[in-house]
Amino acid sequence: MTTAAVPLSAKSTRSAAGGRPDLGRIGRLFLPLALYLVFTVVPFYWMLLFALRPAGSTSLLPWPLTFEHFDTVWNGMGFRVYFQNSVWIALLTLLFVTFFALMGGYALARFRFRGQKLFLLALLCTQFVPGAMMLIPLFNIFQAFDLINSRWSLIIAETTFQLPLAMILMSGFVKNVPVELEESAMVDGCGRIRAFLAVVLPLLRPGIVAVGSFAFIGSWNNFLFALMFLNDPELQTVPVGLQTTIGENTVDFGALAAGGVVAAVPVVLVFAFVQKYLVQGMSAGAVKG
Amino acid sequence: MSRSLRTAAAALAALGLLTACGSSGSGSSADGGKVTVTFWDNNAGPARTPLFQHLIDEFEKANPTITVKYVGVTSSEVAEKYNTAIASGSTPDVGGVTTALLASLTAQKALVPLDELLAKSALNGKLSANMLETSKAASGGKGLYQLPSSGNQDVIWYRADKFKEAGIEVPKTWDELFAAAARLTDKSKNQYGFTIRGGSGSGFQVLSEAYAYSGLASMFDAAGKSTVDDPRNVELIAKIAAQFKNTTPEADVSNAYPQMLAQFQANQVMMVHHNLGSTKDVRTALGDKVAGMLLPSGPSGSSILANPVDGFGLFKNSKHQDAAWKFLEFLDSHASNSYWNENVGQIPANTEAYADDWYARSGITKQAGDALNSPAVKLVQPPVHLPQYSKITKTDAEPNFQKVLLGKMSPAEFAKAVADAFTKAQSDYRAKNG
Repeated sequence: MTTAAVPLSAKSTRSAAGGRPDLGRIGRLFLPLALYLVFTVVPFYWMLLFALRPAGSTSLLPWPLTFEHFDTVWNGMGFRVYFQNSVWIALLTLLFVTFFALMGGYALARFRFRGQKLFLLALLCTQFVPGAMMLIPLFNIFQAFDLINSRWSLIIAETTFQLPLAMILMSGFVKNVPVELEESAMVDGCGRIRAFLAVVLPLLRPGIVAVGSFAFIGSWNNFLFALMFLNDPELQTVPVGLQTTIGENTVDFGALAAGGVVAAVPVVLVFAFVQKYLVQGMSAGAVKG
Repeated sequence: MSRSLRTAAAALAALGLLTACGSSGSGSSADGGKVTVTFWDNNAGPARTPLFQHLIDEFEKANPTITVKYVGVTSSEVAEKYNTAIASGSTPDVGGVTTALLASLTAQKALVPLDELLAKSALNGKLSANMLETSKAASGGKGLYQLPSSGNQDVIWYRADKFKEAGIEVPKTWDELFAAAARLTDKSKNQYGFTIRGGSGSGFQVLSEAYAYSGLASMFDAAGKSTVDDPRNVELIAKIAAQFKNTTPEADVSNAYPQMLAQFQANQVMMVHHNLGSTKDVRTALGDKVAGMLLPSGPSGSSILANPVDGFGLFKNSKHQDAAWKFLEFLDSHASNSYWNENVGQIPANTEAYADDWYARSGITKQAGDALNSPAVKLVQPPVHLPQYSKITKTDAEPNFQKVLLGKMSPAEFAKAVADAFTKAQSDYRAKNG
């Protein structure tokens, strides 16, 4: 006997007998989901609450509503500049990581070369090296090239650290594109580059979005490199700015929360709009085909 | 051109925008006779950064040829930032340096000795002698590598209103304090008389309580053996541990300063041991309901474990040391030092500020300052010059103190472990440095 698969959304929460709600099913499905929702939403609510209520208020609702904390962090504490810096650095990291990951990932997926497995192993092993361990060598290299206190140092460091994983992910996406499509294009007269641009690249859109999103978020959240490589407040990024709301003995919770909201907005937007690609990206190459 | 090629061309054009991310240079510079001095604040945050910005504005107005570039570094990250900068030769001209950081910086030979500069300065003779002594001791007694700006002191904040309601006098001895804590404890109302720091920072705190009780004048005897395991210190540690869960909340075993302060502000505890650094927090939260007292004494009299002194260091790599020193002199001048310490609630290093009105009316800050600067008070120097100091007082002592609170380690064992580690570290230090 076979059972037809029924989409989750098509299953009713009402019993088969009639219109009575299926309480058991509601309890099994929706209660855990509701609990999980509370678990994930409450921290965000708490952050918004502190950001939107006046300092010293203990109200559980953001009332009276105030935007003074946003004004403090955006204008008073320099988050306007930090935000712009973070956007620039994250976007350029995204661009570099995606570009090089496309080239590297394509090569890994389509060519066989001596030491390929060793190279893949090396790419994986780079993920085990913590950024803090590379700090002094990176610092010395950047100093030699006069890149300390330059946004370039962050972009280069972030690109370097993110590229191995991005290449592995991208090679998984490329492998999912049938090689016959490229071969057909080449039979029709395209060169390899033209075949890649005209045939493979459009099909890699989910991979590009996934890899780019990971690169953006990784760069956006990076704290250590920004703290170490940038000294000028005019060049600093949002994570370092957030840290300055916490003094040794004093924490400006309103500013911290408002800064947290500012820091979270791009990440939430990225997750909201490209979530499905991210899931694909994480599982790319997971199934042997 | 195909659409794909156009896309690729657009991406390459976007690379052209990378020029927007060019280097802005670093460190100090001279431009048309103007000198830029880079200053790293070692404890940037919402309370201090605006004060420094004000002082820098004032300095630049008075010295139009010098520009000061402020870089805020938070206290939790400053050691790593300095160490990286030293390793790569990119230190600032001037940096905020507490005595806790001093040993590491002087060991790496990153700072300029300030003895001669101070001797020739208008500040000579105007800085607290005890703070200068603490600064010198913190760098191993080999000279002055920190220009002190603020003294801190351990104090106990207490709910003056609750004490008054219960008719309790301000305790002068530890036994009186424990008795007051017991009277103010009402577990049914989730109200406790005292709170113990069991989490981060507990190592220094319990030692400062122990020495205030024992009255010992030094952390080492003449032979270089640590006095931490002196029976009088052990006695107080045992008394503190006995308060756990009786007059203190159970959560104290892992509580650090923020949690302790939150309990104090939420009426859950009536006394909290911290230091002058929290003056602004407690006053803002509780106003006149809160007052401060110095640590009580024990049967043998009282001593004070010197708190970290905050101040400034002049870095060897600085290309504009004259301008940098001028900036330091300005920061420690009477007006600047008074402004700074009034706002952070700490003890001024510049003794001329002691005549200022705000200081005379500051209550606990003046009390702590008087004690710190009194020749009669035994000021015990913690051995921050030892490279292992943080490991001993934090990494090793803090989990052990939690064991003491939980009854898994005796106070004597705890004190002996700390003492043995200090003795060995001091012996190693002497063997290496003479």
